[in-house]
Amino acid sequence: MTRLAVACALVSICAIATVVPVHAQRGRGGGAAAPANARSAAPIDITGYWVSPITEDWKYRMVTPKKGVFDALPLNAEGRKVGESWDPARDDAAGEQCRAYGAPAIMRVPGRLHITWQDDQTMKVETDAGTQTRLLQFGTAAASGEPSWQGHSIAQWNVAGRSLKVVTTNLRAGYIRKNGAPYSAKTVLTEYWDLNTLPNGDRYLTVTTRVEDPVYFTRPLQTSSDFKKLADATGWNPTPCSSR
Amino acid sequence: MRSRLRVAGLLVALAAAILFNAGTFAQGARPPDIAGEWRLDNGEDPGQPPLADYLGIPFNEAGRMRADTTPESIWGTPEYQCRPHSAPHQWRGVGGARILKDLDPISREIVGYRLQYMRSLDRPIFMDGRPHPPAYAPHSWSGFSTGEWIGHTLKVTTTHLKDGYLKRGGPQTSDMLTMTEFITRHDDILTVVQVVDDPIYLDEPWVLSITSSYDPNAGPPTENCSGNAFAENGGRDRHWVPHFLPGQNTGIGEFLKTQDWIPLEPVRGGVKTIYPEYRSVLAGVTKLDTLKVPSSKSANDVAERIAAQSPKDGEVHVLPIQGNVYMVVADGTNITASVGRDGIAIVNTGSAQMTDKLLAALTELSREVVSPQTTNNCFGANCPGIPSWSSPYFNAVVSSPRPARPVRYIINTSAASEHVGGNAKIAASATFRRAGTGSFGGATRAIGETATIVAHENVLSAMSTPKDKSAAAPEGAWPVDTFFDEFYKLSEYVNGEPVIAYSAPAANTDGDSFVFFRHSEVIAAGNLFSTISYPVIDLGKGGSIQGVIDGLNHMLDLAVAEYRSQGGTWIVPGRGRLSDTADVASYRNMLVMIRDRVADLKKKGMTLQQVKAARPTLDFDGRFGATTGPWTTDMFVDAVFKSLPEAK
Repeated sequence: MTRLAVACALVSICAIATVVPVHAQRGRGGGAAAPANARSAAPIDITGYWVSPITEDWKYRMVTPKKGVFDALPLNAEGRKVGESWDPARDDAAGEQCRAYGAPAIMRVPGRLHITWQDDQTMKVETDAGTQTRLLQFGTAAASGEPSWQGHSIAQWNVAGRSLKVVTTNLRAGYIRKNGAPYSAKTVLTEYWDLNTLPNGDRYLTVTTRVEDPVYFTRPLQTSSDFKKLADATGWNPTPCSSR
Repeated sequence: MRSRLRVAGLLVALAAAILFNAGTFAQGARPPDIAGEWRLDNGEDPGQPPLADYLGIPFNEAGRMRADTTPESIWGTPEYQCRPHSAPHQWRGVGGARILKDLDPISREIVGYRLQYMRSLDRPIFMDGRPHPPAYAPHSWSGFSTGEWIGHTLKVTTTHLKDGYLKRGGPQTSDMLTMTEFITRHDDILTVVQVVDDPIYLDEPWVLSITSSYDPNAGPPTENCSGNAFAENGGRDRHWVPHFLPGQNTGIGEFLKTQDWIPLEPVRGGVKTIYPEYRSVLAGVTKLDTLKVPSSKSANDVAERIAAQSPKDGEVHVLPIQGNVYMVVADGTNITASVGRDGIAIVNTGSAQMTDKLLAALTELSREVVSPQTTNNCFGANCPGIPSWSSPYFNAVVSSPRPARPVRYIINTSAASEHVGGNAKIAASATFRRAGTGSFGGATRAIGETATIVAHENVLSAMSTPKDKSAAAPEGAWPVDTFFDEFYKLSEYVNGEPVIAYSAPAANTDGDSFVFFRHSEVIAAGNLFSTISYPVIDLGKGGSIQGVIDGLNHMLDLAVAEYRSQGGTWIVPGRGRLSDTADVASYRNMLVMIRDRVADLKKKGMTLQQVKAARPTLDFDGRFGATTGPWTTDMFVDAVFKSLPEAK
């Protein structure tokens, strides 16, 4: 075998060898070799300020519907019963004004998002409505600590798909609609975050949400919420939770 | 030698490894399969929208007026009885959706998708790189969609939509709407983000999203149309157009009786009501007038798109229609041409400046129709059209094709200069090729010397009556065969079909007509119908708004939709895009609405200036109006007002 042949053989082996780790490292969505961290692996940049134009469910989002209006919600009998007992004064007294601002509901609340990287593995989503903070943690850290309104969120990029998947558990029981329609602490929230550029140049973040609650729902609740990218923080107006 | 072979072998191995690697990357990046059955699974805005619920719609003033004045009973008109859901509403209609793949049989690549819904027509999405049709091509309920993958999201762009509705309950769209969709599959959820851009009626694109779940058992059933289901109009007046006069829709706010937590103001829609800032108005902190929101601009240049339906580019464009008939767009003016072995019959001749190009286009078209380029598919001595044995004559004959057939008939739908400008020259060009003397002892000599020009007799009057010191048009351009009755049939079939001109008395003028090609199912509408402007009504020449409406109604009586209120009989407007019954009905509906509004204001004792100030055409001005040019909105309202009876 000549030297050239040896060189070619080595190159071939190297070429084949490069394929193996790529296969091994690729996640469900496929893509190239795993980067060092979630921030550098991000296939899309969703950081910045976003506003939610309320083009759907206006009557359930911009204003608080009457008690007992549960249209489109898959509440079971127990869920309805709990919803019918909604008493905002009681929530105020209990210091639980943020029950309608938990992770399963917060993306439906009219307002602005401010998305930043807290660190290389944690994306921070702040809302001005209710002044809430969600932490989307990349990796597999298990939920720990007390349940909270925003729960424990595990995030995962779909690099080839240019989207983000977030699964949230360890939630405090709250309201899926502000008029007291409940979700339980056993709720699992799955979200898919997609970024699209419109013909007019607007960038829209669409968060597809599936809320699964074995306690109060008869089936999962699916919604999708749209956010328009803003140039800056103009209009950012943090307000406290309101029970009404 | 042996070592060289080894090197070559290793190089092949190297190439294979690289290809394998590249192929693996490509496969990994392949989008998910979106084909299959999708069950509507959207926990938002449930059920049938109530009447006049515009919550969340960034309506402008025109959009609100149009919605307020359009009742649901518009479905009762014969032309709309089988109207399917408009594209913006398709994903939300009951029954879910089915997505079918269209594969190239050789490469097995996906070259398209087809969307199916229960109450909508199928919508193909072309993925083969083809462009969207020209603006003068017809519009349909589902429009024309092309797609491209961006990551795992299918971006679909849809144009060529008919006017329709955003959702049930009143909110209307114009036919200038464009729709962009982003279709993404995540696990078993399909998310569709819709961007509805209709600046005629919206202050900014309406962005909304909807989710469906994969369900192999959820295929959408087909809903066949039954006109009997919409018998609201039955037996009264087939031309009746239900509508509300502005301010008289009693349904506005009706649903708030049961949904009393919603204030009326946002129910009327508007871009300011859809942003979170509006909550300060709800709280009484800010006034709507002073509220600022981060609204967006439209990407849809409506003025450009309307103009493109009637391109004033000094060129001739040919659009095949149906049967023998073609639409020829000559510098923005439409000519309808029947082309076949009998020759050419055209409706109108365009402007004088375009005559040479028009003739050249007609000649080329005739050559293509009469002697199409084709390969030899016949052998022996009995091949039609080939003298003697097929081979070798065939190839010689196809390389020296039969000459084009001449223009034999010109039918003018009016005396408007843009329709008769080419009469003289085109008529004079019409000669059959003869081998020396006329046959049959000269008995047929007169045939084909010039084209026969047909028109209503008032067209002849208008063209021949002295204007200043001479006639309005040279004698060679005058109609030689006129009619004064309700209709006129050409004395013979042309290219295998009857051709009938119908008079439209007191319409744009006193001499208008439209022409029906009865086998090809094509109507040349002349100036009665335009997709780029309000009808030009010349009161001085005997025109009237009612005459135009009557002419359109007559057209609708003759026309038949092919399926689900679209296609079938095609209608060529004097200017603008190729249309069908639904398009003409929409135009007729608009004129009836405007007529009734002006009549109502006139009846209330308003002067012409007061009527104009009331803006009775507000909701249609963005689509058909003009503030400059030869025919402005002001002139149109003037003509409508003056052609209506005086108030008693």
